[in-house]
Amino acid sequence: MFDRILDPTGLSAGTATVATSAGRVPTLVGTRVGLLSNTKKNAAQMLTEIGRLLESRYGAVVTIQRTKPNVAWPVDEPMLNEIKAVSDVVVAGVGDCGSCSASAAADGIAFERAGLPTAVICSDAFEVTARAMAEVHGDKDFEFLLTPHPVAVLTEAQVAQRAEDLAAVVAGRLCEAAR
Amino acid sequence: MTAIDDAGQAPMDVTDALDAAHKSIEYMYERGWTDGLPVVPATRELVDEFLATTSRPADEVIGQLEHLKRQVSVELAAVNAVMAGCRPEYFPVVLAAWDALMAERSTVGGGWQSTSGPAPLIVVNGPVRERLGFNSTGGVFGPGFRANATVARAIGLIVRNALGVVPHVLEQATQGIPGRWAMCIAENEEESPWEPFSVDGGVAAGSDAVSTTLLRTSEFVDNRNTDDPELLLSDFADTLSRTGSWLFKHASAGVVFCPEHAQLLAKAGMSKDDVRTWLLERCGRPKADLARAGKAVRAGNIGAVRTEDDTGDFERLFADNSPKNLPIIVAGARNAGISMVVRVFSSWAGIAARIEPPLDGGRG
Repeated sequence: MFDRILDPTGLSAGTATVATSAGRVPTLVGTRVGLLSNTKKNAAQMLTEIGRLLESRYGAVVTIQRTKPNVAWPVDEPMLNEIKAVSDVVVAGVGDCGSCSASAAADGIAFERAGLPTAVICSDAFEVTARAMAEVHGDKDFEFLLTPHPVAVLTEAQVAQRAEDLAAVVAGRLCEAAR
Repeated sequence: MTAIDDAGQAPMDVTDALDAAHKSIEYMYERGWTDGLPVVPATRELVDEFLATTSRPADEVIGQLEHLKRQVSVELAAVNAVMAGCRPEYFPVVLAAWDALMAERSTVGGGWQSTSGPAPLIVVNGPVRERLGFNSTGGVFGPGFRANATVARAIGLIVRNALGVVPHVLEQATQGIPGRWAMCIAENEEESPWEPFSVDGGVAAGSDAVSTTLLRTSEFVDNRNTDDPELLLSDFADTLSRTGSWLFKHASAGVVFCPEHAQLLAKAGMSKDDVRTWLLERCGRPKADLARAGKAVRAGNIGAVRTEDDTGDFERLFADNSPKNLPIIVAGARNAGISMVVRVFSSWAGIAARIEPPLDGGRG
C-alpha cells in the first residue's frame, strides 16, 4: 500500500561493488613510493616519516609528495597521473575529519584502480565514514589502515612514534612479502 | 470526511485512513528517510502541486556532490519539501534558499560532512514574508511557525536524503549545533532602521529574496542597560571576540540585532557599515589571551603556542568590514534589548537569491 509514497533519495538500485585492487608489488626494494597528504594537521609529517621508514627499513624510494588542494574532495586526475607517473605504490592520508576521511578512502580506490597498491591511513574515529565512502565509490570492502584518534594534537615526537607503529602494516599493505 | 456518521457510529474508512497514516509514517522511518520527526508521505499528486508553483523543469539539477556521487533535482527537492511539511506555495522559497546555499563555498565542499556540524541560517526578505506567514518578530528563531519551520527542515531533508549525508555515516558532526535545520528567520523590515539584508546580497528592497549562510552556533547578547551606542557595541565586541570560536587567522560572524538595539544604534546616526567598521576595529584579542588558551595565529591559521612571538600584539578577529564577513540582520520583537551573535562557518557568499513570484499572479 506504500507504493505511492515517493522515494526522496533519488537512488535507484544499490551500486554494485567491484573489487578493484591492484596487484601487490613483489618487493619493496627499489619500489617508488608516492605520498599524498590531505592538508590536515600532522598528515604531511606523518606521511613523510612513514616514507622515511619505508626507505630505511624496506629499501623503497620516495619519489614524490603532494598535498591535495581540497581536503574534502578525492584526488583529481592531473594529480593522480602526476603521482602515478613516478610511483609504484602510494601512501595517502591522514583521514582525520568528516569529509577528508571519506575522501581518503576514495583516493585509495582511485589509485588501486589505476594499478597502484595504496595504503590509506585514517583515524579510527572516522572508520564508519571512510567505509561508507568506500561503498559510494564501488568498493565497500576496500582495506584502509587505522591509527588511534586524535592525530591533530600530536607533537612531533608523537607523530614519529605513530609512523613507527604504522610502518610495518603500511609495508604489508603494499607488498605481501613484507607481511 | 466526518468522524461520526448519522447513526453515531465511527465509519470504518475513517479508522482505516488514520491507521494507514500511522503506518505510512512508520514506513518512512523504517526506510531511514526522516530527521527523527515524523514526515509527510510524498505522493505523485502532492509533488505535482509543488512542481506547479515553479517554472523550473522537474529534472533540472540544482545541486550535486560529485565526490559522493549524488545530486538533487527540482523534483527531488519537491519530494523532500512535501515530507518536511511545506505547503506547495512555500516551494519557491525552498528553491531560492537552496540556490543561495549552493553559492556558499562550504556547501559544495565538505561542509555537510564536517565535524563542526554546521547548519544554514536562512533569511527571508520582501512581501513574501507576509504572504506566506513567515515570522519576523517574537520568537523568530522558532519554533511555532509553519513556513519558517518547514522551509528550514526541507533543506535538512534534501541534504540527508538527496545528497545522502546521513548522521554517523557520511555526516560526522561531533555535536552539531542547537537549532540545526530549524533556523529560517524573516527579517523584521518594518522595525529595522536600515535597508533589508537582501540589499547586501544584491537584491533591491521590496523584492522577495532569500539569503543563507552556514552557522556554527548562535549566542545571545542581553543588554538593557545602556543607551550609549559605543557601550552597547562593546558588549557585542566581547561576545564576538571569545577565543573558543577562533580557529583561523580571521573569522566571520554576524549579528541578528533585535529592533531595540538596531534602533538605538541608528538613532545615534550609525548605518550598518558604521556598525561594522566600529566592530572591525575593536573585535579581537591580544595574542597573550589566545596564548592562554593554547592558541597562536600563525601563517593564516591557528596553531599551538611555540615562541614568545606568540604573545604581544592585538589580533583582529575580522579580516575586513564587509557584509560577507560581518552580516547584519534585524529580527525579533521590539520588547527587549536581546540580540544574537551568529557564528558563520566560513564566510557568507554575499549573494541573495530571488524568490520566483507566484505563477498565477495571485496569492501564491
